Amino acid sequence: MTGHDAVSGTDVPPAEATAGDVVLRLTDVVKTFPGVRALDGVQLEVRAGEVHCLLGQNGAGKSTLIKVLAGVHRPDSGHVEWCGEPVGFANPQAAMRSGIATIYQELDLVEDLSVAENVFLGHEPRRLGFIRRGHMAGRTRQILGRLGHAEIPPGRMVRALPAAGKQVVSMARALSHEARLIIMDEPSAVLAHDEVGNLFRIIRELTAQGIAVIYISHRLEEIREIGDRVTVLKDGRTTAANLPARETPTSDLVSRMTGRTIEYVFPDRPAETVVGDELLQVDGLTRAGEFADVSLSVRAGEIVGIAGLVGSGRSEVLETIYGARTAGAGSVRMAGRTLRPGSVGAAVKAGMGMAPEERKSQALLLGEPIYRNVTLATFGRYARFGFTDASRERAEADRIAEDLEMRPRDVRRAVRTLSGGNQQKVVVGRWLLGDTKLLLLDEPTRGVDVGARAELYQVIRQLAAQGVGVLLVSSEVPEVLGLADRVLVMREGRVVRTAPAGELDENTVLDLVMAGSLMEGAPA
Amino acid sequence: MSERPPATTTQLPAQSPPVDPAETEEAGRRTPTATAGASGRLSWWHGDGGEGAKRNLALIGVLLALFVIGAATRSDLYSNPDWVWANMLSILKLASVVGVVTVGMTFVIIGGGIDLSVGAIVALAGVWCTTVATQSFGAGGMIFTAIIVGMAVGLVNGTLIAYGRLVPFIATLAMLVAARGLAAEISQKQTQISQNSTINGIASTDLLGIPLLVYILAAVVAAGWVLLNRTTFGRRTVAVGGNPEAARLAGINVKLHTLLLYVLSGLCCGIAAIMLTAQATSAQAAMANLYELDAIAAVIIGGTLLSGGRGTIIGSLLGVIIFATITNLFAINGLSTEAQNMVKGGIIVAAVLIQQVQFGSLSQFFRRNRLTTS
Amino acid sequence: MTQHSRDMSRRRLLFGGAAVGAGVLLAGCTSNEQTPTEAQTKAADGNANAEPGKQVTIGFSAPAADHGWIAAITNNAKAQAAAYSDVEFKTVEAGADAAAQRAALSTLISQKPDVIVLLPHDGKELNSFGLEAMAAGIPVVNLDRAFPDAKAYRLQIKGDNYGMGVSAATFIAEQLKAKGISNPVIAEIAGMDELELTQERTKGFNDTLAQHGLKVQNRRAARFTADSGQQEASQLLQALPKIDAIWNHDDDQGIGVLAAISQANRSEFFMVGGAGSKKAMEDIQADNTVLKATVTYSPSMASSAISLARLIGQDRGMSDLVELQVPKEIVLASETITKENASNYLKLGF
Repeated sequence: MTGHDAVSGTDVPPAEATAGDVVLRLTDVVKTFPGVRALDGVQLEVRAGEVHCLLGQNGAGKSTLIKVLAGVHRPDSGHVEWCGEPVGFANPQAAMRSGIATIYQELDLVEDLSVAENVFLGHEPRRLGFIRRGHMAGRTRQILGRLGHAEIPPGRMVRALPAAGKQVVSMARALSHEARLIIMDEPSAVLAHDEVGNLFRIIRELTAQGIAVIYISHRLEEIREIGDRVTVLKDGRTTAANLPARETPTSDLVSRMTGRTIEYVFPDRPAETVVGDELLQVDGLTRAGEFADVSLSVRAGEIVGIAGLVGSGRSEVLETIYGARTAGAGSVRMAGRTLRPGSVGAAVKAGMGMAPEERKSQALLLGEPIYRNVTLATFGRYARFGFTDASRERAEADRIAEDLEMRPRDVRRAVRTLSGGNQQKVVVGRWLLGDTKLLLLDEPTRGVDVGARAELYQVIRQLAAQGVGVLLVSSEVPEVLGLADRVLVMREGRVVRTAPAGELDENTVLDLVMAGSLMEGAPA
Repeated sequence: MSERPPATTTQLPAQSPPVDPAETEEAGRRTPTATAGASGRLSWWHGDGGEGAKRNLALIGVLLALFVIGAATRSDLYSNPDWVWANMLSILKLASVVGVVTVGMTFVIIGGGIDLSVGAIVALAGVWCTTVATQSFGAGGMIFTAIIVGMAVGLVNGTLIAYGRLVPFIATLAMLVAARGLAAEISQKQTQISQNSTINGIASTDLLGIPLLVYILAAVVAAGWVLLNRTTFGRRTVAVGGNPEAARLAGINVKLHTLLLYVLSGLCCGIAAIMLTAQATSAQAAMANLYELDAIAAVIIGGTLLSGGRGTIIGSLLGVIIFATITNLFAINGLSTEAQNMVKGGIIVAAVLIQQVQFGSLSQFFRRNRLTTS
Repeated sequence: MTQHSRDMSRRRLLFGGAAVGAGVLLAGCTSNEQTPTEAQTKAADGNANAEPGKQVTIGFSAPAADHGWIAAITNNAKAQAAAYSDVEFKTVEAGADAAAQRAALSTLISQKPDVIVLLPHDGKELNSFGLEAMAAGIPVVNLDRAFPDAKAYRLQIKGDNYGMGVSAATFIAEQLKAKGISNPVIAEIAGMDELELTQERTKGFNDTLAQHGLKVQNRRAARFTADSGQQEASQLLQALPKIDAIWNHDDDQGIGVLAAISQANRSEFFMVGGAGSKKAMEDIQADNTVLKATVTYSPSMASSAISLARLIGQDRGMSDLVELQVPKEIVLASETITKENASNYLKLGF
């Protein structure tokens, strides 16, 4: 953990990798916050006209680095050289003025202003104090045209735009500042599959004009497609700089990110799956406009996976089974007893637990300590005469933290301070405390780094081995195939295929979830 | 194994963004397992209990400062220890009614709501329990009436909000108007005098040299503290206010709990109505004027998040006492009520600012910046 | 689990029963069967003006303020109108503020009453209404809160706020002189400070005290309600460990002031009230509190206003005056009620 020998693996960039001049150079940048050393000696070199990818796990320091570049934070030590000059941006406006624009993941647009007003927010063209609306609209149109999106009307309210449109507006704002470096923080996260292609086209046009792009993504395939060079961060340090994006082997990148060589590491399937009695029986479940006639069953100790695109109704099915949505028709039975529709309480009482899709907004009390989040569904059981028993809760939570290898172990810390993977462990751990017989998992590994993923998979497998039924929804086909015993494929609100995981492969499932499937009419 | 392309290449398009790494990145990093022992000891200070404790210390500091100002400006009075003691009791008596209302308000606000109708409920309960008919049932009947009326109005508020899906602000604003209207109707706009010596005695009785009203305040605050910090009800309150969706998906009956919060607030108003009626030996529809604002202001300077999910009873109590002390300070100096109100407004702003600057450590600033910019 | 839920349902049932019972009980408890305040009407006597004349419609508006004095104003006006067979009484509630009252009054104009009797929320803010009604040929009788513009009213009948202060100060000065107290501590509990009438009362009080070489030591403003009176008084008593005299502007808030005084076990001073409520007069008569006098600001003016409005509508004058018409302005004197004369005034108490 000391010195910079970790950087010794730094690859010298091949001369042919990029042609442009170095526009940005960071040397030994350090940034500490009370209790944490967020950046601990970062090296970064970005050339004009290149797409420089920043890779790292959650907590590696990517976000802090972005904020240093964007002028939100000032580094404690080290040098930031911008176009050959040492700089220290006092505030985001200063960074913006010198040509560094940042597009955050949660786009910082004003929803109720028009496209043009957002593009020129804070630097509206004025005359005598009045905003020159016509001029502003004209220039916005021009910039949008440059981005290949002339079809977006400058007068349209941003609220009315889809996510991809909003992202284009953010980029237009960057261009309105004559940005020479655009930092994109996980831009593809908000986009649908086909929109990513469009994003890449825009990025290529920008780089062709000599603009440098720092591209941050979790998705290796995107980095391979759009990136020129890659810098890898781990624990606030550069562990590898300027690797060629296309040629560097995946295992190399992953090992520099994690210090371990892992990909999708699924625990070995047990030699024989011990499948118990039927636990969950769903018949003809229907919600108008979301899904229709969904029937499925989960046995004790069985992992059932649902694969499907967003909008296929998969998450909605899960939430309806759990009672978070009220079914229009059909029934949900747990161990033979029909559950009252639309009642989470009834589902929990019957032994269901759910880890919802949006951890932060649907599952966690971020400001509350870990143990209170772990016992959120069970604190009533430890209570006596309505008085909570905090020490017992902490003990139970400690046990869960131990079992799930939660980091940190101190269960009195606020959940806010945990990484995505550990937060997910808190949510899953919550249901390990009760007599949960059936666990519903909606995108359990979203936003979870590679190492924590493997641990979560292990946990899910163990649960199943202990006789818990698991119903799993995931966008990641390998995850569904690698974990589940049986797989349901959903498309447009219907189950189009049910089969043992062993009978399906990735391509088949992908074909099924996309329209125009070969398997139309296959036995469901 | 490493030859295969990474499995992520077949990731399906996802419409919703993954969990924002910006926030987790900051703090999730290198959580010091090595220093776990030290952080364990310090975690009280840095953790959930510490922030509230620091804030309360700041409020006590404000109280001390007000005491010093009082002593400096009226040294003639403050030189008499008997007077100082009597004055402190007088401040606590002054704080007692709003204090009881504020305990209920703290629960409602931690639970993610707001109750603008507390002043009106106090007035309605006060008027209802001092009608000639109610007074004929004696002190017990009056207390019963005030408490049931308070809880019933709370029940209506809670039902409208939890099951009628009205915004709390609107539902309780409507109740504010309606309850005062009903109070005016019942009282025919007259001041109703309480003839009951037991009720009136509540305000004039001392036990061991301390007024009964102060005991009532202490009892309500203590009960509120226990309820919030040591019971499942309190835990549910924090959960419902902090993240209603998470609470719901964890199996908590959010609607029922929301309803109960307003009933609790109504109960506090009923108790306060008895106390205020006893103090004024009468009730009228215009009584408890703007108590809702006093209570909300006290809750805010007490450090409770107006958005819910976090707050302290003790902080709210200190907030109420600070306001009562300011009133007292201006009274003993013979200064005008207008100046007093301006200072109260300033105190609200200053208290929040101090808490942010002095005790919102850099990391909190950082976190807030993250939340707003990323 | 089932035991638990059965307990729960039984508990619910019990609670439900209790709630219904309580509801029934409470509904009965809204009753306020008090002996109704005797309205301060002037019964028809031998006066020639008592003879029924032309039918007159009188429109009436007073604020809906929750205060005994305002309530008495409305009650008195109603009762006085009912005493005349030739008066039709139309009342509109004035709502919570001047704007609401203006809106209510515009509906009154459209009903074309012969005379309008009006207690405005604020004389200045409703001046334009007075002008409008007068221009429409409807005489306006202004009650208590004067319009600045003389063309805005036909008759103004009001109490004397300044005079209240004068009377209170005079009484206090005389009493202190009689007791031979030098350098007395005098305190004042005012009503709502943002109202002009409060300022006038205080000015009259201060001016008159100054003539006697006295001054107010401490002053708190309450809000005409008993609970605010109690709170302000308790703090005032805290500020002044020894007091010789207190003037409290309003007898309604005086209920709270007296409560605070007795809760603080203080009795070394005497107190003068204001307005002249029945309760205050009874207390003065009984002479068992610190309240020794009150200076009137009587809501009986509403009864007089109705009587005079009728005469205006019928084009008659006041029979004891030589003039053929009702005068333009009548200011009631603020009288001092003490133990000695309380019985005379009791019927005017509200």
